[in-house]
Amino acid sequence: MDNWVIGMMLSASIFLGAIALFAFLWAIKNGQFDDQEKFLNGAKFDGVDELNDAIRQEKKKEELKKNYKPE
Amino acid sequence: MKLSNKISCTHCHLEFNENVMIRDGENYFCCNGCQGVYHLLSDEGLDSFYDKLGNNTLTAPTGQYEDSSNFNSPAFYDKFVKTDNDGFNNVSLIIEGIHCSACVWLNEKALHKMDGIIEASINFTNNKAVITWADNVVKLSQIIDMIRAIGYNAFPYDASVQEVHANKERKDYYLRMSVAIFATMNVMWIAVAQYAGYFSGMTQDMKTILNIAEGTLATPVLFYSGWIFFRGAYYGIKTKIVNMDILVATGALLTYLYSIYITVIEQGEAYFDSVTMIITFVLVGKFLEVLSKKNAADALDIIGKNIPSEVNIIKDKKIISCKLADVVVGDVIVIATGEKILFDGEIIKGSGTFDESSLTGESEPIYKNISDNVVSGTSSIDADIHYKAIKDFEHSTLSNLVSLLETAIIKKPKIEQMANKLSEYFSSTILALSLITFLTWYFFGDSFEIAFMIGISVIVIACPCALALATPVATLVGLSLGAKRGILFKEAAQLETMAKIDTLVLDKTGTITVGKPEVIKENIYGDFDKNILYSLVKSSNHPVAKGIEKYLKEDENIDEYILDSYTQIPASGISAIYKNKTLLGGNLKLILDNGIDVKFESENTIFYFSIDNKLVAIYELRDNIKSNANELVLNLSEKNIEIIMLTGDNEKIASRVASEVGIVKYKSNQTPEDKSNYIEKLHAENKTVVMVGDGVNDILALAQADIGIVMGSGSDIAVDVSDVILLDDSLSSLEDAFKISRTTFGLIKQNLGISLVYNAITIPLAMFGYVIPLVAAISMSVSSLLVVGNSMRIRYKWNKK
Repeated sequence: MDNWVIGMMLSASIFLGAIALFAFLWAIKNGQFDDQEKFLNGAKFDGVDELNDAIRQEKKKEELKKNYKPE
Repeated sequence: MKLSNKISCTHCHLEFNENVMIRDGENYFCCNGCQGVYHLLSDEGLDSFYDKLGNNTLTAPTGQYEDSSNFNSPAFYDKFVKTDNDGFNNVSLIIEGIHCSACVWLNEKALHKMDGIIEASINFTNNKAVITWADNVVKLSQIIDMIRAIGYNAFPYDASVQEVHANKERKDYYLRMSVAIFATMNVMWIAVAQYAGYFSGMTQDMKTILNIAEGTLATPVLFYSGWIFFRGAYYGIKTKIVNMDILVATGALLTYLYSIYITVIEQGEAYFDSVTMIITFVLVGKFLEVLSKKNAADALDIIGKNIPSEVNIIKDKKIISCKLADVVVGDVIVIATGEKILFDGEIIKGSGTFDESSLTGESEPIYKNISDNVVSGTSSIDADIHYKAIKDFEHSTLSNLVSLLETAIIKKPKIEQMANKLSEYFSSTILALSLITFLTWYFFGDSFEIAFMIGISVIVIACPCALALATPVATLVGLSLGAKRGILFKEAAQLETMAKIDTLVLDKTGTITVGKPEVIKENIYGDFDKNILYSLVKSSNHPVAKGIEKYLKEDENIDEYILDSYTQIPASGISAIYKNKTLLGGNLKLILDNGIDVKFESENTIFYFSIDNKLVAIYELRDNIKSNANELVLNLSEKNIEIIMLTGDNEKIASRVASEVGIVKYKSNQTPEDKSNYIEKLHAENKTVVMVGDGVNDILALAQADIGIVMGSGSDIAVDVSDVILLDDSLSSLEDAFKISRTTFGLIKQNLGISLVYNAITIPLAMFGYVIPLVAAISMSVSSLLVVGNSMRIRYKWNKK
């Protein structure tokens, strides 16, 4: 087996691992693990309605942002 | 009428007797509040809340809140409301009444449905909410009203500096540790290949490939995860203290540079695996320390919560509510039953009993009449009074107490921790040894490379993995041992401080004694139905009534009747009518006032009970001493701990209790300031002091002492300023707390011993150049495992007991 095969395998696996690591870091930074209970309950309770609500909330936020003039 | 047929409320799921429930179609409600909330939720289409709620119960909404328009005042906005980058307002609230995830769901849902709310996010774990809203669409008072309408309550807290900082620091560690652990795991398996190659032979090309892979992984670990050590080292150098960070930073950095050099010249062995391992191990140890540090921020939130923001005053013959800061000397304040006194003043109308235990520790309620003075911080038990303020809020006893408390928390002495002291000597010694080794090898004719490598190997092998883990692992074991026995240490370092204690100061009421009068003797003079007496005392909050209620409850068949014309007579007792019979229960004054002649002598608290003016029973009550008080005093005296009792009670009671439990030194008639001064005096004599208490009257002393221990049933504020909480209120857990802290401290010493012995063996070997990379890696792991294993051993031993 040539050395370059080992080299390639090493770099490929480190690269893939790094992608997973960055996804994890992004999740921590985003506060996905701040409230364990809520995170799990989201998986337990959130159905179509909840997701629709979340989108509506996003839209409402955008709408308010457009029209909002701080006093 | 007997109580039976319990059914549960449709909203809160609490069970009540059927005939007290409000019937509404097929639903039953325990109160109007629950009914209102139920209809609101149905109207808003939020009734799937009840499916999510399952079998959980809620607190019934009280409906008595201060006016929410206060939340719109500029003063409030200044203090609690922040503006974000988009110009939206932002407030942090603590939501009361959250029991389960369904409650979180409901609150978020209801708020999201409101116009103008940008975001509402509630943390289930600590019930804290952050709400963002557009102020021109909706006002904060409307938001608070919504939370109240669905049966919860919210009060603001200042999510300022400390808490935000603590969370940020923790998150920062998570990120750095994730990177470090990921890289270490990967470096490990590459290292296995390298070590195998070291023995079985491997081409230089292959070695270089592996080195480059390891180097790539080690780089983020050293410069991202290890940044903390470089920062620490920088501050260490700036303040001229040789700390552990300097050792870790120099060791890791030099090893890293040397390994790059080896990789480039393609000769010798690189040590990237050591770099990642050192950083990861020490980082984990540091993280454990950060985790077990207490969050002081919550303490002041709770104090703020206990002080209402306004009082009722009489102006132009009308009762209006007024902000604390706006009340001036001479204003007439109205106090109803159960309310807190916030201003010092003089009673001008009405009379009744007051609970002054929060200031004096006196367990007995105190009767006050017109022209008597009331003190802020106390509360009315059954008094409806008007009184004239004689001081403004800023100068009141209560706010004095709060500011004293703040200074006491800051002034608290910190005992220098052993591991810190040790690490300073250790670090400087190792750095010196490494330099000497390098110079010796270099001047005795070896090449720069070999001398440099051996010099570094001294730092690498001594790198304090085991030392860094020695204290945190031991204290974590100690903390969990305590937690299992209902002893909560708020901060790991307190275990070490507590092991060095030589003086124990105890409060009397609630600490040595139970704090609640108990019936010790029942004298029956006529036949009567005990259920009647039970129903009479059950509705009163007076400690004596509670004591009798508890005594009667021992009979399982006891039942509650519904009484008519129930009245509390201030400083005397209670009266009621049952089936046209007049019931009287209370003290001697009540009985004599009603023309009943009685002669009864006892040194205990006495409760008289009469039916239709005929005395039927006399109960004698006493605040009993906790079961193993004697044992505690004896055992701790044997360990050379001096025990002192401080109490707000009078000399007679103090001396009786002290002699009963065998305490020689005691002080009676102590005010909160006296107690705190006494502890300061002990500090001046170089004593290390533990203070044990339970009430608001102890908080200054608790905050001042090296370790403040509070009984779990103590007041919220006391629980907050203290360092250790005994959940089961028993004195045997107090003794356990001492035992655990001493065991843990012993463990810390052992662990430090193990890591020092390890270093004493390996450092000379490294100095003489005998340490090959494999040995370094293995011995480093073994020493860390030894330290962890040794700590677990104690846990096993304790669990077996």
